[in-house]
Amino acid sequence: MTAPSYPPERVPAGGWRRYAHVLGVCWRAAVAEQLEYRADLFAKTLMSAFWLGWAALGVSIYFRFTGTIAGWSYGEMLVVVGLFFTLNGIRQAFFEPNLQRMGDYIRRGTLDYILTQPVDAQILVSLRHVGLHNLVDPALGLVLVGVGLGVTERAPTPVDLLAFALLLLSAIVLLYALIVGLMALSVLLVGADELDTVSFSLVELARFPVQAYRQPLQTLLVVVPVALLTTAPAQALLGRLDPLWLLASPLIAVAALALATLGWRGSLRRYTGASA
Amino acid sequence: MPEPVSPRPWARGLAPTLVAWRGLVRASLQVALSYRGRMVLWVLSGFFPLLLMAVWLTVVAEAGPPAGWTTGDFLAYFAAAAVVWHVTGAHIVWEWDQDMRSGDLSSKLLLPVHPFFQYAAWDFGHRVVMAAGVVPLWILAAWALPALEYDAGVGRLILTGAAILLAWALSAVMGLTVGLLGFWSTQTTNIWMLWWGLGSLVSGWVAPLELIPDWLRSVAMVLPFRSTLGFPAELISGRLAAAEIALGFGIGLAWTTAFGVLYAIGWRRGVRRFQAVAG
Repeated sequence: MTAPSYPPERVPAGGWRRYAHVLGVCWRAAVAEQLEYRADLFAKTLMSAFWLGWAALGVSIYFRFTGTIAGWSYGEMLVVVGLFFTLNGIRQAFFEPNLQRMGDYIRRGTLDYILTQPVDAQILVSLRHVGLHNLVDPALGLVLVGVGLGVTERAPTPVDLLAFALLLLSAIVLLYALIVGLMALSVLLVGADELDTVSFSLVELARFPVQAYRQPLQTLLVVVPVALLTTAPAQALLGRLDPLWLLASPLIAVAALALATLGWRGSLRRYTGASA
Repeated sequence: MPEPVSPRPWARGLAPTLVAWRGLVRASLQVALSYRGRMVLWVLSGFFPLLLMAVWLTVVAEAGPPAGWTTGDFLAYFAAAAVVWHVTGAHIVWEWDQDMRSGDLSSKLLLPVHPFFQYAAWDFGHRVVMAAGVVPLWILAAWALPALEYDAGVGRLILTGAAILLAWALSAVMGLTVGLLGFWSTQTTNIWMLWWGLGSLVSGWVAPLELIPDWLRSVAMVLPFRSTLGFPAELISGRLAAAEIALGFGIGLAWTTAFGVLYAIGWRRGVRRFQAVAG
């Protein structure tokens, strides 16, 4: 019997396949590390389901006293809460673990090391880690979205679904841009571990549709733009989206990403290093 | 020079523990003060009650006051609830959980003061600094916003202060007692979050208890959670009659005592299982 031969790992030469490969390696390592704590993972998954039920129950209290809040019925509100869970889960699983490490990267000089590696530092810094604890949240959130649609007894048309997919993708890109922007800021501020409070707070504001808030907060949240995170995708699913958002939302997301990338590069130019 | 502390405080009575406690609280105050930026962020990110309130205000504007609660009632209640949450919310469990895993608990066990008092002192100092930041803001808001009004005399203010102190004590003892489960599960934050999450449905956090379904409210009245949040907030908002106030204090004191006893029993059984992770 010959010994199994392991082919040397072939790293694709360039382009997105190279990054897919690199991130694949990083994520496998992160997953393997966290699978060591299976009981904890199981408990955290149960807790995610608990918080989902908690949020749905909490919202139901409003509807003891009214049929609709700013035109949103209970079922429609559940769609928004479900989307909040989805986005918050993505934030916690993909963005937060990286943002939290940023302070250490800068203080310990790990960033110097990352900058010398032959891949784009922004991608490596912002997407390298993945947290398993909240990986079920996006799926659970989408289940609640389904429940909400069931309560409203409305089946989205294929066009609605396409619009929804586009707006949800824009929301995720927007959130990612925010994270990159915060990372750039933490390079300038040297550390600033608490910057993820900002991303937490903005997503938390998207727990309810923006119309549920009074003025001037409502307008502010359209401007900021928290409205793009959950309200717009929910409106797409419910078939009452102002078509303007179909154009505006991806544009804003792409512009935000470009701005954040510029900010990141700018902050690196002012970065002086910690280990050298 | 710090006063000498007896190595066996329980054998010599409570006085040395109190002396040590004063020192521990002072140390905690200084730590909290040097991380005041972090505490400001904490306050800023603790806007959840105000978010819930914002939706209630929309409900009032559209469908009229639910169960008689006007805009002013919601403002008064949720502002009070946010403050009470900041100055009582038990963060002890996170300290405790980390100490158990990192092995820092071992060094706390070596000190001549029972860890119960060490954690309580740590939390108390931080809460005092938090209160020093948040309570003036609260007073300022009540003074500046005509819609936010508390029609409270000196007597009610003193009672509210006492209720907040009781809320802190109960949160702390309850957190430490639930934390003891870590001796058996090596991991406490999940258990605590489940405990807290269930409690928040009946504490006045998710909604004022007057607005939740009747059957749930009658359960909430006898459970410990209302004493940690809803009771002080209802008290300052002037929603309680004298008999209800007395009953509220009675229930809070009873639960604090009960958890104290449970803690004493649980500690003696649990600490024998402690295997000192790391060292």
